[in-house]
Amino acid sequence: MSPADILPAASDDSREYKVSWGLSGHARRLLTLALAGLAIAAVTGRPEFAGLAAPAVLLLATWRPGRPDSVLVRVRATARQLVEGDQATVIVTIGGHGDYAVQGEIKARETFEAGPAVRAGAGQDVLRMPFQAQRWGIRRIGRVEIMLRDRFWLTEGQVSVELPQLECYPRPAALRSTVVLSRLPSRLGEHPSRTAGEGVEFAGVREFVPGDRQRRINWAATTRTGTIQLNTFTAERTQNVVVLADASTNVGEEGATSLDLAYRAAAGTMTCYLAAGDRVGLIVYADRLSWIGPGLGRRHFHRLMDLLLSGHRGWERADGLTRLPKAALPPGALILVFSPLLHPRLVEALRDLRERGFSVLVVDVLTAEPAFSRARTDELTRRIWRLEQQAIRFSLTQLGIPVVHWDGQQSLDEPLAPYTRRVMLAGQR
Amino acid sequence: MTAGAPVPDASGGPGAAGGPDTPQRLDGGGWPAQGRRIAAAALLAAVMITWAVAPVSGGGPGTRLALIAAVVCAVASTGRLAIGEEPVSSSPFDPFHVRFTDTVAGVLHALPWAECLIVAVLALEALHHARPWHTAVLGVALLAYVFAAHLAQARTSPAALAGQLPVIAAGVALLALAVGAAALPRLHAGPGSELLRILAVVAAVVAGGLALPVSGRRRPRDSP
Repeated sequence: MSPADILPAASDDSREYKVSWGLSGHARRLLTLALAGLAIAAVTGRPEFAGLAAPAVLLLATWRPGRPDSVLVRVRATARQLVEGDQATVIVTIGGHGDYAVQGEIKARETFEAGPAVRAGAGQDVLRMPFQAQRWGIRRIGRVEIMLRDRFWLTEGQVSVELPQLECYPRPAALRSTVVLSRLPSRLGEHPSRTAGEGVEFAGVREFVPGDRQRRINWAATTRTGTIQLNTFTAERTQNVVVLADASTNVGEEGATSLDLAYRAAAGTMTCYLAAGDRVGLIVYADRLSWIGPGLGRRHFHRLMDLLLSGHRGWERADGLTRLPKAALPPGALILVFSPLLHPRLVEALRDLRERGFSVLVVDVLTAEPAFSRARTDELTRRIWRLEQQAIRFSLTQLGIPVVHWDGQQSLDEPLAPYTRRVMLAGQR
Repeated sequence: MTAGAPVPDASGGPGAAGGPDTPQRLDGGGWPAQGRRIAAAALLAAVMITWAVAPVSGGGPGTRLALIAAVVCAVASTGRLAIGEEPVSSSPFDPFHVRFTDTVAGVLHALPWAECLIVAVLALEALHHARPWHTAVLGVALLAYVFAAHLAQARTSPAALAGQLPVIAAGVALLALAVGAAALPRLHAGPGSELLRILAVVAAVVAGGLALPVSGRRRPRDSP
């Protein structure tokens, strides 16, 4: 990574930090050995104990005064935004510490993992400390602990520098294919539609009528039929896709909870559809509802990801909403829902969407179930709970809302394959 | 993805969830080496206690108490080296075993077990009759233990001690000198003679220490 890639972090320039000095554990042990040896020698009258204290006294005698009260520290991070699992580096430059040796370490918070510090070059007081983002979210990395030590490790000076905040995006689920509706809005895009137009995908052959472009004459068919035949092509259209990420419930093992899976799937879906030239919107269904209407481009992608991470932008309403707002749902949009389907109001909202004529596809991200003991009653409770979940999914399917399951391990293409291989009938039950 | 990066590839890229590649973890290892350092410190602690207490029957009153204290301190100091110096924080909502482990870690952090071990071992040795060369060997073992604990606590290799070797060697030489002086046969017994002997040994040590040109040596460039 070149120096130009290094972005200034919270502390852009060198700042002076006060050093808190103290005796090291090593010095305390040496001091104990020396004092205890001399004391026992004096009490018992056995001079060999005084000799036993000699090495410790000699080592302690190497201590020298003249410690710096403060040091200059400059902290930079190589990235402000990461994706789960990505690595970046904190670069720490230290000055004004004299001949004291410098060591550094990142005390990372729970969602980050820090690696060992490496000196950037021989004789330089520049430390490179790698770290890895473990979980999505907007969080502080932690702090850098800088340790100054004298020659024989007798005194320790400590400096603590807070590291900047970082945006960590969910790791996008792998998705290559897209679900395309049968009816697409009249916007130029990349999906071949059922209507004839000016695209590049061959649709069929029809008889020439005055006004048609001659360059599209199909000469082989013309020769065969005796009348002038014309090639027709499909129109290429874009579609509106609204991704609904259910953040109302969060169950499962840490790192693979339903919320993790829903956000990763949502991130992968938004990435895939934006890359396909579609207009993508996002609804985050949590305690409060937040959304961004469909849009295109890289800037829009970052807006969507920001909403996914913060979950508190856009228009918000109180809890209890079963009817999703019209402003977030353009007519004829494909709605992809990523949810564990545990929130009854969301299920009601999905039924309402279907009744309003939207094409809805649900990706079930529930991979856990409540903990039950082996008691007979608990076994019965488990069966009832499973039947309830099956009933919810069955009722949605009966309404014309396909429900597929994604476990977070495989590619999203696999559960969505039945709907990506052919066009999905829009707005039909 | 760094700031300003384009919209990720539709395939999700190498870090995509559900793909064959999973993010690689940072190497936070070094545990085999650290385990060896802790094991060395524990072994030296055991050797020190065994050496200082032998023979058990030869000790004065309080030997058994000092032995128990030394063993407890040795176990606790080894445990402290193993768990490191990171502060622990437990929540009352944590399971019992987590809270119990945190309580134990808190106790290990609360007291200076290694220092207590040094005092206990010296007390064990003092409870036995005078044996200068035995005490000298114990002194070397104690010094080795102090450095083993230091290396384990600092999680560094013995190479870090390279700059201190002359001082350590000089210290051991002074120890031998002092113990040799202490082992000389007594010529005149009387009140204050023991104190005079101690002062003579201390004076020999100080004189020897001042004569050794080790404290003015330059610090090695890459020493930690």
